[in-house]
Amino acid sequence: MSEKEPSLPALTLPTDSLSLPRRSLLTGAAALGATALYAPNIARAQGKEAHPLAGKSIHMSILGVAGWLPSSLGVDMSPDFAKYVKDRYNYDVTFSFAGAPFGALFQKAATSLATKSQEYNIIISDSQWLGALATPKWIVKLNDIIAKDPALNIDWYAPVVRAAYQVYPDGTDNLYGFPQVGDVEGIFIRKDWLEAPGEADAYKAKYGTPMPMTWEDFEKMDLDDWKKLVAFFNRPEKGYYGIAMQYSREYDAVSCPLISFIRSMGGDIWDPKTGQVEGIMNTPLNAKAMELYKSMLQWNPPGALNYFIAEVVDAFTQGKVFAAWQWVATGATMVPDALKGKVMVVPPPGFKDASGKLNRNYIIGGQPWVINAFNDDAHMRVAFDFMRWWYLPETSANYLKRGGLPCDKATLTSPGFDDVYPWNRTYKYMLQRSTDFWHDPRYAEMLATQQEGWTGYMTGQLKNPAHVLDYIACRQQGILYDEGTADKAPSGACNGIRL
Amino acid sequence: MKPGAPATLSPSHDAPAARFAFWEDFTRFLGRREVLPLLLLLPVLIFFIVWNLIPTLWLLGLGFYRFSLTSGHPPRFAGLYNYRTILNDSGIWLDLSRTFLFVFFAVALETVLGMALGLLFWNSHRLPGRRIALTMLFAPMVLTPVASGTFWRLIYDPTFGVLNFFIRGLGFHSVDFLGNSSVAFGAVLAVDIWMWTPFMVLMTLAALASVPKAELEAAEIDRLAWHQRLRLIVLHHGKFILMLGILLRTIDAFKTMDLIYDMTYGGPGSTTQLVAMTLYRRAFEAFNMGFSSALAVILLLISIAFTATFIFVLHWRERREASP
Amino acid sequence: MRQTTWREHGYHALLWLVALIFFAPIIWIVLCSFKTADQILAVPPKLIFTPTVANYAKLFSSSAFPRELFNSAVLSVAAVVIAVAVSFLAAFSFSRFKPAGTNFLMFLLLSIRMLPGSAAILPVYLMYVAFGWKDSYAGMILFYAMFSIPFSVWILKGFIDGVSPRFDETGIINGASWLRIIARTILPQVMPGVIAASIFNFIFVWNEFLFNYIIGGLSTSNIPVALASGLYSNGGVDWTFISALTTVYIVPPILVVYFFQRYLLVGMTFGTVRGEV
Repeated sequence: MSEKEPSLPALTLPTDSLSLPRRSLLTGAAALGATALYAPNIARAQGKEAHPLAGKSIHMSILGVAGWLPSSLGVDMSPDFAKYVKDRYNYDVTFSFAGAPFGALFQKAATSLATKSQEYNIIISDSQWLGALATPKWIVKLNDIIAKDPALNIDWYAPVVRAAYQVYPDGTDNLYGFPQVGDVEGIFIRKDWLEAPGEADAYKAKYGTPMPMTWEDFEKMDLDDWKKLVAFFNRPEKGYYGIAMQYSREYDAVSCPLISFIRSMGGDIWDPKTGQVEGIMNTPLNAKAMELYKSMLQWNPPGALNYFIAEVVDAFTQGKVFAAWQWVATGATMVPDALKGKVMVVPPPGFKDASGKLNRNYIIGGQPWVINAFNDDAHMRVAFDFMRWWYLPETSANYLKRGGLPCDKATLTSPGFDDVYPWNRTYKYMLQRSTDFWHDPRYAEMLATQQEGWTGYMTGQLKNPAHVLDYIACRQQGILYDEGTADKAPSGACNGIRL
Repeated sequence: MKPGAPATLSPSHDAPAARFAFWEDFTRFLGRREVLPLLLLLPVLIFFIVWNLIPTLWLLGLGFYRFSLTSGHPPRFAGLYNYRTILNDSGIWLDLSRTFLFVFFAVALETVLGMALGLLFWNSHRLPGRRIALTMLFAPMVLTPVASGTFWRLIYDPTFGVLNFFIRGLGFHSVDFLGNSSVAFGAVLAVDIWMWTPFMVLMTLAALASVPKAELEAAEIDRLAWHQRLRLIVLHHGKFILMLGILLRTIDAFKTMDLIYDMTYGGPGSTTQLVAMTLYRRAFEAFNMGFSSALAVILLLISIAFTATFIFVLHWRERREASP
Repeated sequence: MRQTTWREHGYHALLWLVALIFFAPIIWIVLCSFKTADQILAVPPKLIFTPTVANYAKLFSSSAFPRELFNSAVLSVAAVVIAVAVSFLAAFSFSRFKPAGTNFLMFLLLSIRMLPGSAAILPVYLMYVAFGWKDSYAGMILFYAMFSIPFSVWILKGFIDGVSPRFDETGIINGASWLRIIARTILPQVMPGVIAASIFNFIFVWNEFLFNYIIGGLSTSNIPVALASGLYSNGGVDWTFISALTTVYIVPPILVVYFFQRYLLVGMTFGTVRGEV
């Protein structure tokens, strides 16, 4: 079934040629939907392309992360999309945006999707939720769409982009998401304080080694070097501290940096192939990582035990800390006008392995777009158009300019990328050195257990890190075994274990 | 109003007498002693059945299944699996005991403070701007908990908060109220007390109002000491309302969640994790519906047991005093 | 009029001090709403500053705010009106006719108030999902009404108990229908109870977050949900937004408490007092 190509695109609404596909649309013929996807490819010669939705007006709603710049950028740029489809396909699109903070976003999405509603057509989901959203078939499996449309089959900058934002279950080829923003952990430092006269000499006098000054210097630093640096700048009597890090119980605040420590030191939190947690999570190495992370508290401002993203932003922008361990996607907020030119963003510490090489294996942040499986054909079509538009080079460039972080190789390897914003270079560097959490549908329970145990240790409520790890491992093993992901049940040592 | 006359004159007198008679009979039927009570109760019964009874039965039933909204499996019957898991979960019992502690201290302190302030404000009719002062006193109750929790977080903040500013001014180090595991529980408790003491003040004022003035004057004439006046007259008469206030506050304190959600999210560690928060996380974070239903049923039984005991004691004392 | 003694002055000052102590955090919130973000976070805390109305301007020009405020108002008022009306009828029935199972039913009514919010909303959420009532005004209003009914029934029953049955008998002798009796003789006497119940329930629904968050949605979200969702802005806490919105939002309940204070105080006596408090 092919569609007539209109000869005078702008002047007449080719209603006759559309009556057949419109009827088919209304009766929801999936086949036509698939064929309609070919239409732009066929009619690409003309400026305006035949499109089943031409002349229509569609309203799309996006659910995203409230108060999160990259997420709101996706929405702020939607008028560009509306203009694009109006010019190219001749239909109108309006958008509405709903949001919730990270800790509450999954609830909002899940409680809505559980009703099979179209309340949110496109959702910006955190990468960990892919399993939880895909397993009940609430989001669209994208393999066929991507296969049919080369514009959506993008060359990503690093393999982790596909693994973290698109694939579920881990290790398979099933794709469920389109990367919306890439995010990595970095450290923002006050370059102006670093370069203040007298500091470098005082540092050299105190430690005998020169103070790191350039990005390259920081790349070579391990945790001990960082400890020296933040201790040096830890001056409570002057009203500021060495570093702000995240220790909060909320969402994944303490888990992300701590798992980064664990993995960089050579440990891990589970085996993705067998779903085994016990024996991998509760190891002496991980206990050591916990102690190391806790030891950084002495150079944090008081109150760091409750720090999550927003609190670190406040601490850094108010000049209360020299350095801040933070997601680089918050860059635009971390560097307001008052701090422009005074901030440098560097990679977080490496960890020396047995051969003395610096290892970095950090947790990746970032969110993918996912598409509501219950969208009707019209909304589905617009959603795919949106994705196609999102990955156009000009959109990516615009996104980057406004402070967003695309993930495709073309944009990231373009000349001058590093200079657009102070955090871009670290972003590219860390993107190749980051891996993700589990994508398991029961991730929320796993995360809650982990957070409870780890924050209990960080706040001093629990004293023995090994015991905390045993508890977490047992619980997570139980959850995964229950779910069917793990082969083995929790061992006998887990009976009656309590924090 | 003449008996039997129609309430309004029908415009046309050929309105069939039969229709009018039917309506009159119907109204009289509705007014009969057997029908009217039930009729008046009907709306509440409908509400109760649809939004209370059916959901409770649903909870009861769902507690016997293993069902996670995100797992993609349909609910699987599991008998007492959820209940057994809860009974074996020491974490939940810890949360429960923590909740009891919280409720006990919150209600006790709010009652004592509320009564003291209520007595203070009693007979303050000559206070200039009394209405404004009382409105200011009652304001914490009417602030939405989301806002309370968020702003108290700022007030408690060790770096930016007002409280710590004063503490540092007095020469001490900043106290991390919400991050220090030995202090956080008390800090959250303090905010709850700030919010709900006005409620107990209100109940106290109401209770004091129910004390007959005649007896008070007689006590003054008889020159009874103030604590005797308090015990024999004020408490004697105001007891019922006070106890009702305590009951309401206890029930609500048991359910505290909004405040914790915004202030500490159950942390640091789990020092402020109360059962309502546990339930919320299991139900709407992990979406483990079966488990949460079982937990909800257990919490309901605890609440019912407590309330039943309380009301029984209340009525028992009432009956004891009513009988000559 | 006797002169106020020094002792009385001291007493009044103490009362005002107590009131101010309790009100202080709210004063702080109102002050913050006129500050910029940097001023809010400033240490030492700024008491003297140049106020700005930029936060309010931004709030009122946002597209979501009017709708959410409207939702808050509509949900509160509708739920309270329904709940109080229905509770009144039921309380009247319990009080005058004492049908079998009165005490049992009154106790059962209280049971929904005993459940933590998540427990109460869990089955209702599943029920609403099954019937497609999520994010519907009717669904939310009726659920809020259910939550307001127990308290209202208890208060109103107390008040109606306090109205002598003689009024009823006089009315019946004169041939009035029950409706007239209720409207003309009972209702005016239990007005404090009606108003107290209305106020408490209004404030409850006005400030309610969890239920609206779970069973509400795009079209029925109220302001507490907006507060929780708008907590962060581009990564940092949006203090200006929260303080402005909170200040605006607390005004109606405060006004209600101010103007209806007498009824509130009398109402909470559950009917044992019907005069001035």
